[in-house]
Amino acid sequence: MKRYPSALAAIAAASAIVLAGCSSSGSGPADPSAPVTLTVSAWNLDKTPEFNALFDAFEAAHPNVTIQPVEILADDYPEKVATMLAGGDTTDVLTMKNVTDYARYANRGQLLDLTDFVAELPTDKIAGLEPFDIGGKYAAVPYRQDFWVLYYNKALFDAAGLPYPDHITWAEYSELAKKLTSGTTADGQKVYGTYHHIWRSVVQAVAAAQTGGDQLSGDYGFFADQYALALDLQNSGAALDFGTANTQKINYRSMFETGQTAMMPMGTWYIAGIKAAIEGGTSSVEWGMAPMPQINAGGETATFGSPTAFAVNENAEHVDAAKEFIRFATGGEGAEVLAGIGVVPAYGSDAVTAAFTALPTDELSKATFTEDKEVVLEMPVSEVTSDIDTILEEEHELIMAGQKSIADGIRDAGDRVKNEVL
Amino acid sequence: MGVRKVALSVLLVALCLLVLVPFVWMISSSLKHDNQVFTVPTQWVPREFVWSNYADIWTQIPMLAYLRNSAFLAVTISFLQVLTGSFAAYGFSKLRFPGRDWLFLAYLATIAVPWQAYMIPQYLIMEQVGLVDTHLSIILLQAFGAFGVFLMRQYYQSIPDELIEAARIDGLSEYRIWWRIMVPLSRPAIASLGLLTFVSTWNDYMGPFIYLTSNELWTVQLGLRSFVGQYDAAYAMIMTGSVISVLPVVLVFLLGQRQFIQGIATSGLKG
Amino acid sequence: MVSTAPALRKRRPPEPPAPTRRRRSLRPALVGWSFILPNFLGFALLTLVPMVFGLALSFMEWSPWGDPEWVGFENFERMLRNSTFWIALWNTTYYAAGHIPLTMAVSLGLALLLNRTLAGLGFFRTAFFLPYVTSLVAVAVVWNMLFNPASGPVNQFLQFVGVSDPPGWTSSTAWAMPAVIVASVWRDMGYYMVLFLAGLQTIPTELYEAARVDGANAWQRFRNVTLPGLRPTTFFVLIMCTVASFKVFDLIVVMTDGGPGRATKVLSQLIYEEGIREGRFGLASAISLVLFLLVAGFTVVQFLLQRRRED
Repeated sequence: MKRYPSALAAIAAASAIVLAGCSSSGSGPADPSAPVTLTVSAWNLDKTPEFNALFDAFEAAHPNVTIQPVEILADDYPEKVATMLAGGDTTDVLTMKNVTDYARYANRGQLLDLTDFVAELPTDKIAGLEPFDIGGKYAAVPYRQDFWVLYYNKALFDAAGLPYPDHITWAEYSELAKKLTSGTTADGQKVYGTYHHIWRSVVQAVAAAQTGGDQLSGDYGFFADQYALALDLQNSGAALDFGTANTQKINYRSMFETGQTAMMPMGTWYIAGIKAAIEGGTSSVEWGMAPMPQINAGGETATFGSPTAFAVNENAEHVDAAKEFIRFATGGEGAEVLAGIGVVPAYGSDAVTAAFTALPTDELSKATFTEDKEVVLEMPVSEVTSDIDTILEEEHELIMAGQKSIADGIRDAGDRVKNEVL
Repeated sequence: MGVRKVALSVLLVALCLLVLVPFVWMISSSLKHDNQVFTVPTQWVPREFVWSNYADIWTQIPMLAYLRNSAFLAVTISFLQVLTGSFAAYGFSKLRFPGRDWLFLAYLATIAVPWQAYMIPQYLIMEQVGLVDTHLSIILLQAFGAFGVFLMRQYYQSIPDELIEAARIDGLSEYRIWWRIMVPLSRPAIASLGLLTFVSTWNDYMGPFIYLTSNELWTVQLGLRSFVGQYDAAYAMIMTGSVISVLPVVLVFLLGQRQFIQGIATSGLKG
Repeated sequence: MVSTAPALRKRRPPEPPAPTRRRRSLRPALVGWSFILPNFLGFALLTLVPMVFGLALSFMEWSPWGDPEWVGFENFERMLRNSTFWIALWNTTYYAAGHIPLTMAVSLGLALLLNRTLAGLGFFRTAFFLPYVTSLVAVAVVWNMLFNPASGPVNQFLQFVGVSDPPGWTSSTAWAMPAVIVASVWRDMGYYMVLFLAGLQTIPTELYEAARVDGANAWQRFRNVTLPGLRPTTFFVLIMCTVASFKVFDLIVVMTDGGPGRATKVLSQLIYEEGIREGRFGLASAISLVLFLLVAGFTVVQFLLQRRRED
């Protein structure tokens, strides 16, 4: 027992020394061409080619820097990073898997303040930077900005003689889904009109982005229409029911790649996935991309998305190199590397769009990607985000599994958020 | 008698089939493409047998190195757990000394605390001693559990004290009694402790995940999880790896279960 | 009959005639300690110390990046106000109440069935142990498939035997927990079977022969020879199974992840979410302490019951 306080003191002392070392290296006249080994936390290097692509490109541009990835499993990435930081880990660059985790680390003071650094960046070209603003300060810069679109199977549309879902409304979407539900695949599986994955964002974040509702408010009336639509689709058999999708751990990729669904709202990260599946010969789907359906026709497309960012550890040993890496990865050079492998960079320019070759060549797909649109953050960030996230997730499950009516679920979610969180 | 045996066998075979269903699913999935694993309704026979999964897994991840790491950890930990566990259990069950029962209660109590509660403090200690990201950290964490002590103690309780008294009168030291009498008598218990420790270490995910960062130290369970990406997972490969990783466990079990043959303990008592 | 009285009962008189004996000779104490020390060193440094510290955190506001601050019962008050805590507490108890007796009965049954000479014995034992080592994902998917409300074999069977409105199992808040319990019993039975098998080896065959000579039938032999002879093992299995039930985590996470809604959310899940994910170590420790007291309470009751039976 007695060992503990002393252990804690030792940790504090050690980190103090590290901190002192950092600040001196940050301000001192360090030799920029001295050899440096930069450590960067990342997940599943083999399955996430963007990391190695960025690392290789950066090393080529900075011969004195060697990047040593700290590989962490994607599944429990935030938990491991939290544990490592608790132990005083000195990994230089930390990848922020999502904004919620970012807010946690930043609020605990575990990330280096990058406000001045960000001021020097071409911020007008970096999408998704705004959510990283915590009280006027930045501690991370996004390198990747995914947003949600509607994927569709061209062959199934053609077979049904229906027009592609070009800027449609939810009412049209629902009608299309019902018409497209017919027959079976070559494997004898039922073909659905659409597939809604089990994530709550499919219903809730869409509703928030398109109605302007606030998911942190505790008033969730704005979810109602979107739930009515989703339930109607699954009850009419035009979409796989939530209970089955959830308990059978249905893979959305299977649904789309094996032609079991004609449409599917999903994030742009999937572009690289389809590309890989087609190239690898496990799928022959003819696909296209359309903007998310909207509540009303004719307006600007509103959808939601979520950025991925790099931050510098407060205990980093190589602050300058870390900043240089972030400047590279979040800028034009990094963006072209990312676009080249089918990943949507946060940094936008014509050159980047031109480098994005994974996209289908039809006009609708291109327009979906390049048109002006409003991308709302998937879940707003605050200290209560993760608590509310948990509650909304639970109530979502109950509504979709038919265990609660839409009205009851929305009321209970609101009550719980107001009574227990806010 | 013959009829009863046949009936028993039939019953066992029926039960077995029931028990093996998920295992069959695992094997079937390991022979599919990733996007055919989770389908509705379940496809029990792959449409196309992807045997190449079993060849590819060795190159997609350093499976052999992972297997070696897992084997090293599981064998070392099981050995230490059995050794120190049975040694301590002798003290707890056959010797009298002050503080013994309180100490045992402390052991018992720790079993009741969920690891989630002390994971972070434990990590801080390891970090302080500089053992994070070494195999030694996992070994130290798992080799001295209360489980082994408790299991062996309960087993020793059923070995008659008279046997030990007799040995003491013959002038054997306590250490010799443990080695010459208790260890040979407790072979079924040692087998079950070794087996269960081996399996739980082999299948452990959270411990290695938190403590091992360098890829060359990873175990099979970490390797399999590396097929789970941010938005999707290569489930066919996961199942392929799972099938491969179950094989050593089955082998160990087949060898270990031979210790559960009625009559070992009694023949020991007679001798 | 072999004496199976646990040594712990001797701690009842506060100070046994130890003082005089202790002074007379330090040797037995040293010998005793020397047996325990190798294990105890590792155990104390890496389990006991962090554990005590972890539980003490329930009275503190602490994060690894700050100094601990004594906050009294604040964490407990927060815990009691948290509706998920009460739900998880109930769910955990529900799960334990179903899982413990069923697992004990099934695994003992299997052990008895497989404690004999039989062709293919090794195969059968391995087969029943396999669920314990089968990938959890496979277990979750297959059981969810068996329990699928519309197309699952379980409900098809129920409809076949005349149940007109079969339950929704893992998709329904009322039936998710029973479904999880069934799957978990299925998974764990092989594990406890191994322990029972080892325990059965301690019963001298002479006792069975003697009972047979006395004309005891199979049931009487089971009651009067097997059960008493297995008592130390049964006690061990009971404690381990109780502890494992109250700490259940993996299977639930993979099978239902606490859902639908919070229908199968259990305490250790809550501890993980609050402690590791949210970094609220104080609150997580408070919940751990409750879980600890619950299990410790059960263990003590079982211990006392066992002692009374022997007296």
